[in-house]
Amino acid sequence: MSAGSDTPGTETPGALWRRNLWVWAALMALLALSAWAAYWPYGRIDTAVGFGIAGAKTVLVALVFMQLKRAGALVRLVATCGLFWAAILFTLTLADVLSRMVNR
Amino acid sequence: MSAADLEARLRESRTDLEARLRESHTDLEARLREPWSELETDHETAFARQRDGATLGIWVFLASEVLFFGALFLTYTAARLANQEAFAAAGRETNIVYGTLNTAILLTSSLTMAVASQAAEKGLFRRLTLWCLAATAALGLAFLVVKGFEYREDIEKHLVPGAHFALKQAPAQIFFAFYWLVTVVHAIHLSIGIALVARLTIRGWRDPDFLAENPQVEVTALYWHLVDLVWVFLYPMLYLPGRSG
Repeated sequence: MSAGSDTPGTETPGALWRRNLWVWAALMALLALSAWAAYWPYGRIDTAVGFGIAGAKTVLVALVFMQLKRAGALVRLVATCGLFWAAILFTLTLADVLSRMVNR
Repeated sequence: MSAADLEARLRESRTDLEARLRESHTDLEARLREPWSELETDHETAFARQRDGATLGIWVFLASEVLFFGALFLTYTAARLANQEAFAAAGRETNIVYGTLNTAILLTSSLTMAVASQAAEKGLFRRLTLWCLAATAALGLAFLVVKGFEYREDIEKHLVPGAHFALKQAPAQIFFAFYWLVTVVHAIHLSIGIALVARLTIRGWRDPDFLAENPQVEVTALYWHLVDLVWVFLYPMLYLPGRSG
């Protein structure tokens, strides 16, 4: 089921750490960037950068730490479903909220 | 129509019905998927199925959690769109040092949790798994301690919605109502996670065979990562608004 590269027996603790440490380093870099970007004098762009970085962190954690990268189709489908219903929730509600704001 | 005629037709329709029933019976057999007669599989296959079932089950639960927190986040979004200046003023009042530190703590705990889960899955490195589980629980506790200091400061600064609220903009109270509600709900989730990880650590420490290839480690890890991801989104919602103004 898993990728052929990580056959048990040949894997060392060092390899296990290396496989995950780069993700952690990337997450820390994104966190630093996010904290710094909040002080940029661009208003709404700062907000977009903040939530964009949260999305990037989520992709890293979900694919590598939560192993969605090598999960089966059924698990991926369930994970996508959660996001899909949430997307419907946000789209329909914000369609109402934002259109009222424009008319005000 | 004579009585004999009627009887003959009746008999005919009965044999017809029986034939159709027999037909549908063979149909049913054809519909059964192939390995149905071999459900008594060897232990390896049965265990692989059990593991897949555990993973699928926790993902279904996590998808429902996404919707639970999604509804809370949507409430925040709608309130923020309607009260942008008050939310910026309120966001400036939260302590970004505590918030950033806690985000770093939780992201690091996700690293140790992922290593513990992958090591246990291979069933190879028991000591590494144990140490990583212990580190994960410790980092979770560290998060709660930092949050406790932050709560004390928030209360001292009168950031609790109500009669003595510190900010003059009324909608800033909506921000802090959300802040208290969602951080407490998150802390409850994290406390459950700490208890689950501590349980794995203690049982794995007592019984040398407990952790190796045990699906419980993966299930606990997936829950832990979701609680981390909820905080990843709370960070820009609670700590970053209004910093540049």
